[in-house]
Order: sequence, then structure tokens, then C-alpha cells
Amino acid sequence: MKKFYALPILGAVAVSTSLCLSGIAAATDLETSMSNPSNWASQAGDYANHRYSTLDQINAKNVSSLQVAWTMSTGVLRGHEGSPLVVGNTMYIHTPFPNNVYAINLADQTYKWKYEPKQDATVVPVMCCDTVNRGLAFGDGKIFLQQADTTLVALDAATGKVDWTVKNGNPKIGETNTNAPHVFGNLVLTGISGGEFGVRGRVIAYDIKTGKQVWRGYSTGPDDEMLIDPAKTMTWTNGKMAPVGKDSSLKTWKGDQWKIGGGTTWGWYSYDPKLNLVYYGSGNPSTWNPNQRPGDNKWSMTIFARDLNTGVAKWVYQMTPHDEWDFDGVNEMVLADIKMAGKDVPALVHFDRNGFGYTMNRATGELLVAQKFDPQVNWSTGVDMKTGRPVVDKKYSPGTTGPDVDVKDICPAALGSKDEQPSSYDPKSGLVFVPTNHVCMTYEPFQIEYTAGQPYVGATLTMFPTPNSHGGMGNFIAWDPATGKIAWSKPERFSVWSGALTTAGDVAFYGTLEGYIKAVSTKDGKELWKFKTPSGIIGNVFTYSYNGKQFVGVYSGIGGWAGIGMAAGLTEGHEGLGAVGGYKDLAKYTTLGGSLFVFSLPDAAAGRTASTN
Amino acid sequence: MRRLVYSVMSIAILSAAALMASRTGYTAQAADKDSGAPYTVRDGDKVDPKTLDGWKTWRALACERCHGAEQEGLVGPSLVTSLKTLSKEDFHTTVIDGRPDKGMPPWGASEMVQKNWEGLYAYLKGRSDGKINPGHLHPLTK
Repeated sequence: MKKFYALPILGAVAVSTSLCLSGIAAATDLETSMSNPSNWASQAGDYANHRYSTLDQINAKNVSSLQVAWTMSTGVLRGHEGSPLVVGNTMYIHTPFPNNVYAINLADQTYKWKYEPKQDATVVPVMCCDTVNRGLAFGDGKIFLQQADTTLVALDAATGKVDWTVKNGNPKIGETNTNAPHVFGNLVLTGISGGEFGVRGRVIAYDIKTGKQVWRGYSTGPDDEMLIDPAKTMTWTNGKMAPVGKDSSLKTWKGDQWKIGGGTTWGWYSYDPKLNLVYYGSGNPSTWNPNQRPGDNKWSMTIFARDLNTGVAKWVYQMTPHDEWDFDGVNEMVLADIKMAGKDVPALVHFDRNGFGYTMNRATGELLVAQKFDPQVNWSTGVDMKTGRPVVDKKYSPGTTGPDVDVKDICPAALGSKDEQPSSYDPKSGLVFVPTNHVCMTYEPFQIEYTAGQPYVGATLTMFPTPNSHGGMGNFIAWDPATGKIAWSKPERFSVWSGALTTAGDVAFYGTLEGYIKAVSTKDGKELWKFKTPSGIIGNVFTYSYNGKQFVGVYSGIGGWAGIGMAAGLTEGHEGLGAVGGYKDLAKYTTLGGSLFVFSLPDAAAGRTASTN
Repeated sequence: MRRLVYSVMSIAILSAAALMASRTGYTAQAADKDSGAPYTVRDGDKVDPKTLDGWKTWRALACERCHGAEQEGLVGPSLVTSLKTLSKEDFHTTVIDGRPDKGMPPWGASEMVQKNWEGLYAYLKGRSDGKINPGHLHPLTK
């Protein structure tokens, strides 16, 4: 392992390239890098979205001694989502718009290179209201940046020089990007944002060497454009898997509405190399006024399993047919091999905006578990396990009450029981650690006309802390994906909008909107350490090791929807909320920022652990 | 500094809006030109047809995504504050041309805005004056 540090990046690339040329599915440089826990070579640390590290120098016993090792300003305010990457002796950091990329030498924290793209600023209003970027991808000796203006850029990881670029959308019609690109095998996958602008969602796969498009699969529309095979693409039907049949999407939309029907693709994708399947979720159908789009609106709000080479969908599962609440289905798919009733199951675990935690068989697409991961979820009484459909409570159904009617006290709010903030799977405990929201809403849909490039929302809503609960707006929970039960839940004052990390040291890390990074015990959620950073944390915690020392890091810089939502609906007029403290209170704790924090143990603490081991 | 001021979020929006007003040279005199309310309101939520169309334009264009459901300001400035000093003329310019670098879209291409911008101004003025309630509005006749 030590040897790897000494390897210059170019050397590593040369090795992997020659392996690839041999024509066998040899490990790529990304796969080699990910297999070494010293690196954090992809946004999740692996293909499976585990966000788990086998590093254990920092552990439950000594984490209380954690201290700042070094910091770096990103030079940009606004929301900092995602995390840096670490490959060998280099860290790659990114910023919100204008999407600068910096390569940092870990030996002395100097810049190796900087890439500062020139993007047309007119993309910013289309991104309303925050200009987040969820980070970079590494592979084939390149760093991939998905710019806000939909340009995917491949940079030479050693020099920062542009290798190739490709454009996958058009901001003039509301198409932008916030997602991280994903490298799976020899392809780079990316998606599109703009569900509030009537954008038609799709995932696009590019050849990692050339940037040439290999496939593109839409979320809605004709079968061939979705890369759905009517006879072979399966879905959960009456308690078993069955083919979706012809025109499975077209049949569920009124007229041409699917063309502006959303189903965007801005989440964290995962990949199972054994099954050669890519997993991701599609977002809300456009508009937010359900009365304008009768039908199930397939395949918005759907988990997709696609063949990596061809893009053809092996199976699909729609979680929220005919959405009435903006419960995007884009949240990450965690690929975990778990035991259910004594049997080994290749599972896919997903915590949806709609408040249900799903466990599926990721090979077949079978629905195994669908349970509320926040007991206060009220829009649905439960998922019918035979049909796979949620049973909607009409009291909380804006589609039933119709336009221009306020539907009150819907839980969760549009930002979901959980949004993009990714969870972490700890194979030691078999639990998933989930940063969640605990927020409810009032929702009023209204008629809206579509104009290309202009907002196509059609609903106004206000959000507030879940009534009759602990008063806070978030929880950090441990979830058993085999049973669909909460193992423990730690209340938080605000939404936990930061991605979690777990490690072999039996510690789970996450950040808070007040700006704390926290370490808790994976056993019981007991807080072991916290540190206040200058701004709220909406980035994902990551870890790596350099020169034998383990580091934990996170971006500090509030924004994103949570930051924007801070004051939503929380004026003096909303009695009863001030006392329990809504997002408005956040102003007491933090303001905008843009910095990277990296922590490690003092040598003594780290050394003491080593000797006791 | 200018950039910083404009990108400050809701949590500091009141001070940001104040700074913005002074920085861009809006003065109290500008507001004085508009003596005589541009809206008619009863019971806080019943308004004249023009103002009603202004409110409908407000929600159709999802202005609350930046300015807040009650115009209190989020990523964009508080319009309750801004409209106290922003002249109708400057309001028109800002809405039509936008401030793209700060995130305000140019709405000149929107037919709805072209048709209803004065109603939108009236609605926001009423919100700023504290005469029109936040939330749903109804026609005066109802």
C-alpha cells in the first residue's frame, strides 16, 4: 500500500491503460484506486454508494481527540455539496458555480494546477436558486467535471489540461447540471437537472477516452428513446416481476405532456460490476400541478437498472406514481449484500424523498421492503406490497383537492424525508446511516402554462418543522434494510443535509446546517465528537490516508435547497413555529462560506491507539 | 464585495437589501413619485383585477423560489424591503432585463410579464406596504 503513494499518477494510468488494451475486463485505474482505502477516488468511495472506509486509525475510542489538520478556502460562497477526491498524493477539489477545479499536492497543500472554466452567467438564473455542484469523478487518468452549463469536461489528472468536452443539454430550455459525473468501467455517465423547467430527464453514457456518446436513455417517452424493451424490461406487477409491455410511458401521460415531463437525473448513481447494471432514480414529473398531467407519469419517480454497455433497462420500479408532492426519486441506490431471514440477498437500498425506505433485489427488481423511515410520514398509509404502489391518504392529496386549494400539514415536505444528501452503508453492522429531513408543508397547486426556459412549477408551498415531534427539522438515523426498521434516531435541530460516512472504526460522521461536523457511535448514535466550521455543512464527509495517517474531511459552505429554505414560510405570521425553532433560527448559527476542513488525530493519540492494538 | 453583498442569503437579507439599495443609488425620492397606491385591497386578500393578475404572474413565474413565499427574501433580496425604495421605472428595468450575474432572470421574453408587470409592481408594493396579505388572493367582487 505504501508503494502506491510513491507512484506518480501517470505511472498508474499507464499500467491501467495497457491492461485495458489487453481486451480483458481488467481493473481500471479507478477500480485499482478505489480498492486502496488510502484513496477517496470516487464520490462514494466505491461503485456501490457505501461511503464506507476500512480505515480505522480514527475510531470510536479516539475520535474525541480529532483536530484540524489543515483548511483551504474554495474562493466561492454558496452551497458546497459533494466532496473532494483523493488519488495518490493529490486531492481534487471543486466549487459551486463557476465550477473551479483545483488539484492540491497533499505533501504541502500547494496547488498543482487550477482549472477555472468560463461559463455564460445566464445559466445562473436557470439554476435558481442555488448553484451547487456535487463534485468530480476520476478515471482513465482524467478528472471529470460536469459544469452547470451542461458541458462535461475531461481534464488530464496530472496537468489539468482539457482532454475533451461534450455538451449534454441546453440551458436556454432550462437544462442545467448539478450532479457529479460517474465513471463506471470505461464509460462516464451523467444526467440532467431542470425538473422545474419541464426538462425531459435522461442519463447519457460517454466513452471515457473520446467523449463520444455511447447511449442515452430517457425517463419518459417512446420505448426506443427510453431504451426500454417492452418484452424484456421488467417491473413489479401483482407480486411478481413481469415485462412492462409496449408504450409503458406514453400510455401514462396525457397527450405530449411527457415531452416536458421531467424525470430528471441529478442524483448519485451506483454500479454492480458483477451484474453489469447501473442504478439511479428519476425525478419529479413536471409540472408540480398534478391536475395538468393525469396518469401515472411513467417513468418519473422511478428506480432504473440499466445495462452498462447498452443502456437497456433490465428493470424499473416507480415509487410515487402520479406525484402530487415533488417527491423526486433521485436519491442514491445503495448496493448492499445483506441477509434477510437467513438468506443472502443482493439488495438495493433506497431512501426516497417520499419517506419510504425501500429494499429491492437488485438483480431481479423484486420489491422486498417498503417502510417509513420517518414515522411522521402521513401522505401515504403504506406501500401495498402486491402492487408496489403507495396507498395515498386523500386528506394530503393536492391532486384530489384540485388547483387553488391549500392542502395543509403534509409530511414530508417537498424536500422529502431525505433529499440528495447521501446515506452510508456499514457492512460491519449491516445498518445504513441516513441523514434525514423532518419537515412538513402546505401545498397549493395552480394552473401553469409551459414556456421554454421559464419555470414550470405550478405550486406554491410553505415548509415548517414536523408538528408534534421533537421540534427539530432533521434526524440522523440508523436503519436496518433487512427489516425496514429504525435502529436508532438522533434528533437534529435542522435538516441533516450532509452526506454520511462510516468507517471500520465504528464511527459515523455527518455535518449539520449550523456548521458542525459530528462523529457518532454506529452502535447507539451517541455523540463522540463535534467541531464547528465557519458555515453550514451540506457537503459529504470523506476520508483518506496519507503517509500512514488517516484524515477526515468535509466542505463547509451552506446553500442548496436547505439553505435556501432556511426562512421559507417562517415569518412572524406562522404562530407556533418560532418556539420550536425553524430554519429561521439558522441565522443565529451561520452564514455563507466556502472552505474545506481536514481533520486528523494528534500523533500521540494516533500512536497510542497503534500501540494498544 | 459587490458580489458578496448580492449573494448573501436570507439570513442576512435585510442588511443585504439595505446595502444593495444604497449601492445601486435607489433613493427614497424615487418612491415618492408613486404617491397614491397602485392597488386596491379589501380585507387584506381581495384585490383589483390588475393586482390579482400581478399576483398570478408572481406565482406562475415561481418568484418565491428566490424571493421567498412572503417576499421576505431568500437567495434573492427581500421585496418587502426593496419595494420601499425601488421606483416603478427601476422595477420595470430589473424585471425585463434581469440581473443575470446575480441570478435574476430577464423576463422580457415572457408575455405574461409584458402584460402584467404593472400589476406585479402593484402587488409587491401592496406587500411592501403591509396592506396585502401573503398567500392566496381573491377578486374584490368575491
